[in-house]
Amino acid sequence: MSYVELTRLSKKYGGHLAVNDVNLAIAKGLLVCLLGPSGCGKTTTLRLIAGFVEPTDGEIRVGGRIVSSPGRSEPPERRNMSMIFQSYALWPHMTVFENVAYGLRLRKMPREEITRRVEAILDVAKLKPLAGRYPGELSGGQQQRVSLARALVVEPETLLLDEPLSNLDANLREEMRFEIRRLHDQYRYTTVYVTHDQSEAMTTADLIVVMNQGRIEQAGSPEDIYKRPRSEFVARFIGGANVLKGDRLPGDAVDVGGVVLRCGSGDFAAQGQTSVAIRHHDINIATAAPAAGETNWVPGTVTRQVYLGSHRDYLVTLRNGDTIRTVTPADIAVPQGQSVWLHLPLEHCRALAH
Amino acid sequence: MNVSISLPMPARRGRIDLSRPIFVVLVLVLSLLVVLPLFWLGYYSFLDQNGQFTLANFSSLVTDPTLRRPFLTALGMALGVGVLSCIIATPLAWLVARSDLPGRTAIRALVTASFVTPPFLGAIAWEILAAPNSGLINVAYRSLFGLQPYEYLVDIYTFEGLVFAIACYTFPYIFTLVVNALERVPSDLEDASSMLGGRLSVTLRRVTIPLVLPAILAGTMIAILQALTMFGSPAIIALPAGFHVITTKIWSLFQYPPKPGLAAAAALPLLIVTVLLLWGQARILGRRGYTTLGGKNSDPRIAKLGRWRWLAIAFVVTVLLLTVLLPYAALLKTALTRTVAEPLTWSSFTLHHVNFVFFEFSATQLALRNTFLLGFLTATIGTAIALVIAYLVTRRSVPGSQVLGYLATAPVAVPGIVLGVGLFLSYSNPSLMLYGTLWILLIAFLTIEMPAGYQQLSSAFKSVHPELEEASRILGGNRMTTLRLITAPLLRSNVIATWCFVFIGTIRELSATILLTTSETKLVSVIIYDLNESGDLGAISVLGIMLLVISFAVVIIANRLPVLGGQRLPVAR
Repeated sequence: MSYVELTRLSKKYGGHLAVNDVNLAIAKGLLVCLLGPSGCGKTTTLRLIAGFVEPTDGEIRVGGRIVSSPGRSEPPERRNMSMIFQSYALWPHMTVFENVAYGLRLRKMPREEITRRVEAILDVAKLKPLAGRYPGELSGGQQQRVSLARALVVEPETLLLDEPLSNLDANLREEMRFEIRRLHDQYRYTTVYVTHDQSEAMTTADLIVVMNQGRIEQAGSPEDIYKRPRSEFVARFIGGANVLKGDRLPGDAVDVGGVVLRCGSGDFAAQGQTSVAIRHHDINIATAAPAAGETNWVPGTVTRQVYLGSHRDYLVTLRNGDTIRTVTPADIAVPQGQSVWLHLPLEHCRALAH
Repeated sequence: MNVSISLPMPARRGRIDLSRPIFVVLVLVLSLLVVLPLFWLGYYSFLDQNGQFTLANFSSLVTDPTLRRPFLTALGMALGVGVLSCIIATPLAWLVARSDLPGRTAIRALVTASFVTPPFLGAIAWEILAAPNSGLINVAYRSLFGLQPYEYLVDIYTFEGLVFAIACYTFPYIFTLVVNALERVPSDLEDASSMLGGRLSVTLRRVTIPLVLPAILAGTMIAILQALTMFGSPAIIALPAGFHVITTKIWSLFQYPPKPGLAAAAALPLLIVTVLLLWGQARILGRRGYTTLGGKNSDPRIAKLGRWRWLAIAFVVTVLLLTVLLPYAALLKTALTRTVAEPLTWSSFTLHHVNFVFFEFSATQLALRNTFLLGFLTATIGTAIALVIAYLVTRRSVPGSQVLGYLATAPVAVPGIVLGVGLFLSYSNPSLMLYGTLWILLIAFLTIEMPAGYQQLSSAFKSVHPELEEASRILGGNRMTTLRLITAPLLRSNVIATWCFVFIGTIRELSATILLTTSETKLVSVIIYDLNESGDLGAISVLGIMLLVISFAVVIIANRLPVLGGQRLPVAR
């Protein structure tokens, strides 16, 4: 049964629809990532769930109870949620211990109980020696862990994270991703995680919700989203793909600017416009023409070639002027300007209906 | 538009949300403070002595030379002050911000000192120094060259003298703005000019000066505005010199027989000029891309003065002597000798004036009590109101909260003397007789100090990241708890600083006070003014020094406050 439910949720700022008719059901204990470019409405959605923003339309239920609807929203302090902010939002006038104890103090817990719980969570977050420090005296990673500890110590039913790793450097970010996932597995709260970084979403999420322009483009497991994109936006945004516009032919074929491509999967429009998506590294490059009768071969000219150590990055211009980007092993070297044949294997070609 | 973007308050079940009633009350209070006096001002300006509608008040502004001339004189004086302040402040600012001149910190501190000095006190100090007969400079000049008693070197009781005496206390406005601007100009902009072959003087002329020009202009406008609306200095210098400026003229219209309608009509153009000047200043500073553009803030380039150093030192010493050191020395000397002209020696040293002021002069005790009571009340109430307004506006907790911000800022455009006229007209009618009580002064001071208090606190609120408050909300703290446990402690030092600022502003106010006090509600600033009329400079000096000492003590306390974890505060958005 789903625990957090967004139904026909919309939020309008002035004339701008920041969140547009979002429907989403999140099962209890799941870690969901809202993924999308900046301005796609993911942070607004999170703030709607937190109760900082009231919806213009639709409603939010948590555990079956309506917590947000236009004109009647519970304030954030009564939702039993925790949130981790992009800025960490650690209070500079309180020590690490006081920051973490804050939520428990508001819950009027006895002093010894507070001390016990705070110390336990500081231990889990490897912060015990820093309990007496002020946030300004901590490194970015340590601040991040304090922020996590402060959010988790109150044992929330729902944990919300707003781009929690965007202020960390690359190494630390990698480490913290697994840390967040580990803590989630340990405590099994329902988590909503907002990020614009697809690899962050891939490593942590049970369910990825790709958002664009206030709408949900696609929701599914990381594998689903990557392997079976349902729209051009998702195909391009996740993992990078070439999308060739074309027209539907009978069967599994699509006419892409005079070349016929057969697609192994995807959704075909009943008729007319259908695009074909294929990942950069799923394309093979050859200098010789294929044997007659072979399908899914496209002729073109190399217009750019970059050596990147582990691989080479090609840009190939087709006869109709479209360009295709492809990645090959580093030892396949084709000079710029040479005519080539690209093989777009059927099993990697995915049809996208419009 | 803004209103619809603001986040609506989450409705709370079973709890009364106080934001809206507080909002309504504050709108009413601020309207009372700002709108009411201006309304009566406009109303009375159309009434003649018998309460009949008339346009005669306005027409006499143009036709009556005794009204027209003070206007023109005041405008000329204000422009003169603007130019002179600019000439003093800009080179000084550059030397302090960008040269290797020794003692730059001390120079800054001394300029701040002339900021803190009430201008009317400075004018009195210059009276002591440069009155044609008894002025210390003239006495020294005569004895040095063995001249006749009627000969003098300088005369403060002239138009030029007035411009000079005011400029001494308005140039810090320009100085502060320009120093800040110079420090913000990224040095790579200047480096780029040098790389292209520009020498120091070229870079200065073609890059640096144009970049800080908005600051110079804006500061000059503030100096002009200050001079135009000032009452104390012109009253002290222009009246003995035999001419009026607009503020002293308005005041004289309240002397017997009072002509409130004419005073109201004369106050309106002053209000309009003030609004125009502020509008111009905001426009100039509004194009801020000018100074804040450019990447990272690198250290400003420091110019080596080389052989110009001595000239620079001479300039700085002259400025500081004229604006701070000589006036202070004159006040101190006058306070401690029996007569002004007597040199200060062991034999002439006397505490007579101190004794007179604190123990013999009956008005002092009352004035001291009134001044500090009003200072304390204004600072406390004013800071509290400004705090709530700043919170409601910056956090947009109520739709339309922006209105409060405008209302709180509006008094900045109302010169003290204009407000004084308005309040007098509002509260001297029989149904609401506040004139003659301390209440009317409290209302005046709250109105005058509201813009500065609000500005300071709203910028403080903006420096507290909203996520700090949201983190508390999501962990279970309601709005009030969050305000108490998170926001208030983070703002504590700003609140105390604002309190001090308002307090100092209040105890030195004269422009509005002069129209609103009676013998029962005298303040220290008014006593100083009265004593000046009777020529008791020794007593004035004692009172003036006391005001200065208190002001500096408060400034120092405000600066020394343990700024709560200053370096710990995370960078705001």
